[in-house]
Amino acid sequence: MRELRTEEFIVNMGPQHPSTHGVCRLVLTMDGEKIVKIEPVIGYLHRAIEKVMENRTYSQCIPMMDRVEYVTSMSCEYVFSLATERIAEMEVPERAKYLRVIMLELNRIASHLLFYGVTAMDIGALTPFLYGMRERELIIDLFEMTCGQRLTYNYIRIGGVSKDIPKGFEQKCRSALKVIAEKMSDYEGLLNENPIWLKRTKGVGILPKELAIAYGVSGPNLRASGVQYDLRRNDPYCIYDKFDFDIPVRYNGDCFDRYILRLDEIKQSMRIIYQALDGLPEGDVKNKKVKLTFKPPAGETYTRIENSRGELGVYLISDGGKKPLRVKTRGASFNHVQILPHFSTNMLIADLVANFATLDIIMPEVDR
Amino acid sequence: MTRDELRAYIAEHYDGRLKPLKTGKYDPLYEVAVDKIFEVAKALKEDDNLKFDFLCNLGGVDTGEHFEAVYNIASISNNLRLDFKVIMSYDQAEVESLQEIWPAINWYEREMWELYGINVKNHDNLTRFLLPDDWDQGHPMRKDWDAPDFKRKPEL
Repeated sequence: MRELRTEEFIVNMGPQHPSTHGVCRLVLTMDGEKIVKIEPVIGYLHRAIEKVMENRTYSQCIPMMDRVEYVTSMSCEYVFSLATERIAEMEVPERAKYLRVIMLELNRIASHLLFYGVTAMDIGALTPFLYGMRERELIIDLFEMTCGQRLTYNYIRIGGVSKDIPKGFEQKCRSALKVIAEKMSDYEGLLNENPIWLKRTKGVGILPKELAIAYGVSGPNLRASGVQYDLRRNDPYCIYDKFDFDIPVRYNGDCFDRYILRLDEIKQSMRIIYQALDGLPEGDVKNKKVKLTFKPPAGETYTRIENSRGELGVYLISDGGKKPLRVKTRGASFNHVQILPHFSTNMLIADLVANFATLDIIMPEVDR
Repeated sequence: MTRDELRAYIAEHYDGRLKPLKTGKYDPLYEVAVDKIFEVAKALKEDDNLKFDFLCNLGGVDTGEHFEAVYNIASISNNLRLDFKVIMSYDQAEVESLQEIWPAINWYEREMWELYGINVKNHDNLTRFLLPDDWDQGHPMRKDWDAPDFKRKPEL
């Protein structure tokens, strides 16, 4: 039979595609259903946050950092506070450190639950979205009761946290974790052995280890490719070295591994929170020396932490004044969008959606 | 290797090429001459005791006196972290692309070129991507650039 020759054509995926998690446009050169070339077009969410922060005092920068990556705002606030504390060589009260860990890990669980929901929805299973959002709500309620906000918290401040947890938080937190732990089997039951899900994700979008390292892929996506690298272990910050937890690793680097690894991480985060709640000391939650017009000494540092998407970094330069000289934020998704064309060509357009979704890309931290 | 051991190792093996800077807090920070950048980066990656295989971040800086490009690199196999920067005057703002060494740097260099106007030699795709396609108002991250509708707040 003579092979049919078809013409290549161009499809615009996005900017308003529901599975682009923000506003990202992928210009796809297609040969039938096969993708020949991908060109990501970013910048739709560029809000010049770095420029704005150069004109704000240090405490005013924290709400700006929240907006760099609004799904895990706690880690964005935290990384900026940590960078400032490292420049100022400042002490943080022990209780504040524990509260920070609790909030960071709760935020990680909330982010992974959102991932679970929207990824399944992108690939075509609508039910998990409702499940994921339902349990995420329990965590968002905890944040709301602590700092009054549901998405951009402004809770972790330079030198500590803004206020102590309210009465009843600990008990409510434990019961929320208990509910999530029970529901984990539902999550796994819905997808892990679902033949359609396995067909859509197993062996799809394999990201080789060497390529991942070369392109700066980090976080769960890197660990799904078989590299055991987690900054909570490898470059410990805060008090993560006090806790006992495992770093889940998977070796295939396909969509299924990237998905299952995040479910494993939820369980590890819960372990950390239980230990932090058990060991929570009494005392102050804020370094009293930090005033509104706080001026760190001159210095510069690149600070990085592990958030739910990978390495979140801030390069902060202080010239000794009230305002930072330069704040450069590094979001993991920036690299994850960058690598997309390098391992997603020659696949079907439907698989590209699975690939994009399981990389857990969020656009605000790409454009900033 | 701890941070102090790394400092000692660099002082021993890279003396003259990597000049330590006191302003760096926490992780070691060095200055590299702008014409040596490619050679030093290649050596840092290929040195078996260091093996800096992971590029964390690259950022342009305008200090008000000169430009800087700050490279933040890490080693996954040896678990190390190091920063180095190059200092350029305003009229000679140009660095060599390090794409061959760390492919991840491609977009970071593009960003630096776009927002600061620091030229990158041998880059394969220096085109706009964060700013609008028809942008013609210069390089917005420079210190002397103010948005047309931006009013500075009075000092606290």
